[in-house]
Amino acid sequence: MGELIKNFRLKVILALMLCILVIPSIPVQAEVKEIRIADSKGDWGYPNPYRHYPRGAGYIRMSWVFDTLIWKDDKGYIPALARSWSYDPNSLTFTFELRKGVKWHDGKPFSSADVVFTVNYYKKHPYHWVLMGDITGAEAHGVNRVVIKLARPFAPFLAYVGGTMPILPRHIWQNVNDPKKYNDSKAFIGCGPYKFVDFNKAKGNYLYEAFKGYYQGRPKADRLIYVKAGNPIMALSTGKVDMANIQPDMGKALEKKGMILIKNARGWNKKLMINHKKPPFNNKQFRKALAYAINQQEIINKAHRGFGTPASFGLLSPDHEFYNQETPTYSTDPLKARQILERLGYLKGPDGFYVKNERPLKIEIVASNITVAGESIEDRDGEVIKRQLESVGIRVDLINLEQATADGRVRKWDFDLAISGHGALLGDARVLNRMISPKFKGSVNSARFGTNKELLKLLKDQITEMDVKKRMALVYKIQEIYADELPAISLYYPTSMAAYNPKKGIRWYYTKGGISIGIPIAQNKMSLIK
Amino acid sequence: MIDRITHSAPRWLGMVIAFGLTALVMIYLSYLLPRLLPGDFVTSMYSSSQVTLTAEQETELRAYYTEEPGFYRYLARLAGLDWGYSYAFLTPVSTLFFSALPWTLLLLGTAHIVSMFIGFVVGVETAWRRNSRLEKGMVSFMTILEGVPEISTGVILLVLFALHLEWFPAAGANTAYAELSSCAWLIDIGHHLVLPLATLVIAYFPGNFLLARNSMVTVIKQAYITTARAKGLPARRVRYAHGARNALLPLVTRFGLRLAFMITGALVVERIFSYPGLGTLLFNAIKARDLPVIQSVALISSLMVLAIILGLEIIYRIIDPRVEYAH
Repeated sequence: MGELIKNFRLKVILALMLCILVIPSIPVQAEVKEIRIADSKGDWGYPNPYRHYPRGAGYIRMSWVFDTLIWKDDKGYIPALARSWSYDPNSLTFTFELRKGVKWHDGKPFSSADVVFTVNYYKKHPYHWVLMGDITGAEAHGVNRVVIKLARPFAPFLAYVGGTMPILPRHIWQNVNDPKKYNDSKAFIGCGPYKFVDFNKAKGNYLYEAFKGYYQGRPKADRLIYVKAGNPIMALSTGKVDMANIQPDMGKALEKKGMILIKNARGWNKKLMINHKKPPFNNKQFRKALAYAINQQEIINKAHRGFGTPASFGLLSPDHEFYNQETPTYSTDPLKARQILERLGYLKGPDGFYVKNERPLKIEIVASNITVAGESIEDRDGEVIKRQLESVGIRVDLINLEQATADGRVRKWDFDLAISGHGALLGDARVLNRMISPKFKGSVNSARFGTNKELLKLLKDQITEMDVKKRMALVYKIQEIYADELPAISLYYPTSMAAYNPKKGIRWYYTKGGISIGIPIAQNKMSLIK
Repeated sequence: MIDRITHSAPRWLGMVIAFGLTALVMIYLSYLLPRLLPGDFVTSMYSSSQVTLTAEQETELRAYYTEEPGFYRYLARLAGLDWGYSYAFLTPVSTLFFSALPWTLLLLGTAHIVSMFIGFVVGVETAWRRNSRLEKGMVSFMTILEGVPEISTGVILLVLFALHLEWFPAAGANTAYAELSSCAWLIDIGHHLVLPLATLVIAYFPGNFLLARNSMVTVIKQAYITTARAKGLPARRVRYAHGARNALLPLVTRFGLRLAFMITGALVVERIFSYPGLGTLLFNAIKARDLPVIQSVALISSLMVLAIILGLEIIYRIIDPRVEYAH
């Protein structure tokens, strides 16, 4: 008996020792205390719809606090405040079935009345990310169903309304008459996964706290912090932050330090704006000569150390589902460029540069640092393009300006050629309208081209075409005409990357088609939810 | 002293009127110059953003953000200490200014005091050892060091001590939203201050050293120094009480003027180390064409230059009575 007890004790002791040794090695789903994200600019305004800066990084700061009806992840649209949605072409209505049990950050219940209020509020006080022009109104059908009515078919509805419109709490905003100046702490009550706590304007830092009552489950990290860091890569490699956008040439060094690298699809393009309103740029043949003279790959190699891909001349990204592979292209051919110029009456002078009517062919290129995915990137694109154009006989004055000054000149058509850029090339095809139509007079990266009537009609038609295949056919044609007209020349898609520390157990990713209307930043709030 | 001031009252009055008129010109320039900048807030904010505005939307926004008070209303508002609202933050400019000011004062103030103190002591000691190998070596080294721009020093320190050795943080004034005790918080601020401060001290120290050394070299040739030595006074007393005190004047001028350029002075260093301060505030405001912030920061900094020059005039008269009787 004594022997038995002795054996039993020994077994218990051994079992306990085993537990002590084994338990710590069993992975436990640890709660993440905080996630820190580095950003070189820091200040993107206050995170509510009326006070964030109108760039992607500003929208993302806001998106942690305010939810939309639907959202996107790396595969496409997913439910958010609405669990399902449908479109009825006969009544021109979108119906959203809302989730039950959703609460605002102040504990008040969310309902269809908030959605109806939001639609009406944005119609009265425009929030420029959301297109309300074709919406005639919204109706609540019970507490959990909303019907939004359109004046005419509107194909980009999900991108520009359903997946972008932050829903406002009616009980807070109903008495606010000047939303831009509404400065109360209640202005940041949403029903998103994080509550806004602080924005330090001097330091450019943001603090958010997890909303424990979030309807899709408690967020993975208790605190989310944005840190301003002049050099985000350095902050990341020294462990001060967990995630940052990076320059692709730093990728290998960060990988060695155990970081995970993620690469975005081609959704942002650098492009050459052309002042097609004045001679000689108003001549399509002259614009084609420019296209033949430019070597896209050389710009990538010399100004970006090979990190990039030549762009499609049809504007839409080759990674877009509506991309037309038959889009006209212009392989670098200086000889062809010279032949076109000579057909247009230009003659080579003794110095090797073209002359017409005794006047030298001399053009000016305006260059500036462009903000890509929230980071100001310096490059030497202007110098490479100047050299390429001069090699075919076009004399070039390159003027480097600060971005706001360069933008001001482009806006007023006070330029010959200007180096600009924009994203959203993976989002809804409405980007073609934004970047081509003359309707957007104030834009500095839109071609604002109204000469080709067929192109304008196609742009108009694709917005109202709800049948995906028919719309795709229209978008194909738009790309062909645009590439033939060349009101602007897309140059290249820079390699866009982010890196994160996997030790926190968060998987960051680039959103399919970009967040909202095409933001190419890998900070999707769903990374911290599911 | 009172007699002296009463005696020279008309001269004081003239000086105050001259400074007052200069201040008025500066106020006008602070109103006028930012308006001459190409571009505007709406273009800067929206033109290359994800949002593409129609002509009507743009006109509406421009009307909302364009503020044309006219110079006299601007002057009246300033008199009422109203600096206006920032377009970008829609908060009072004074709030922005005073949230950035303490960090600039901490960084620049400390850098000036440290570099002046070290520069002065090392300059005096080196001058005292004139023609020695140490003096020649120091003068050559400091002349070279003075030619090294802040941007180079900053980047070298950043790469060496933040990236490779990881001894100091690379950015910011403290760890954002760290939950620390008061003592740990102060240590954290000090830890973040080291690299930007070292960059500025390395930039300012050589100038202070050379100035102090040159000034001291002139002073020690004076007869009263020989007299002090002949009296058998201790060498340190001769150096500091008789020599260095009289060599201090140019250094005070330099200190004042450097302090006056506090806003622009640390812009480069603030940018390299993402240090919050008035330089960063002004830089961002210019980029965004945030007119009320630009004009307020420009005005306050120029008035600060003026006030410091006025202060120096007064300090000179106290430190060196010869100035008072120079006429």
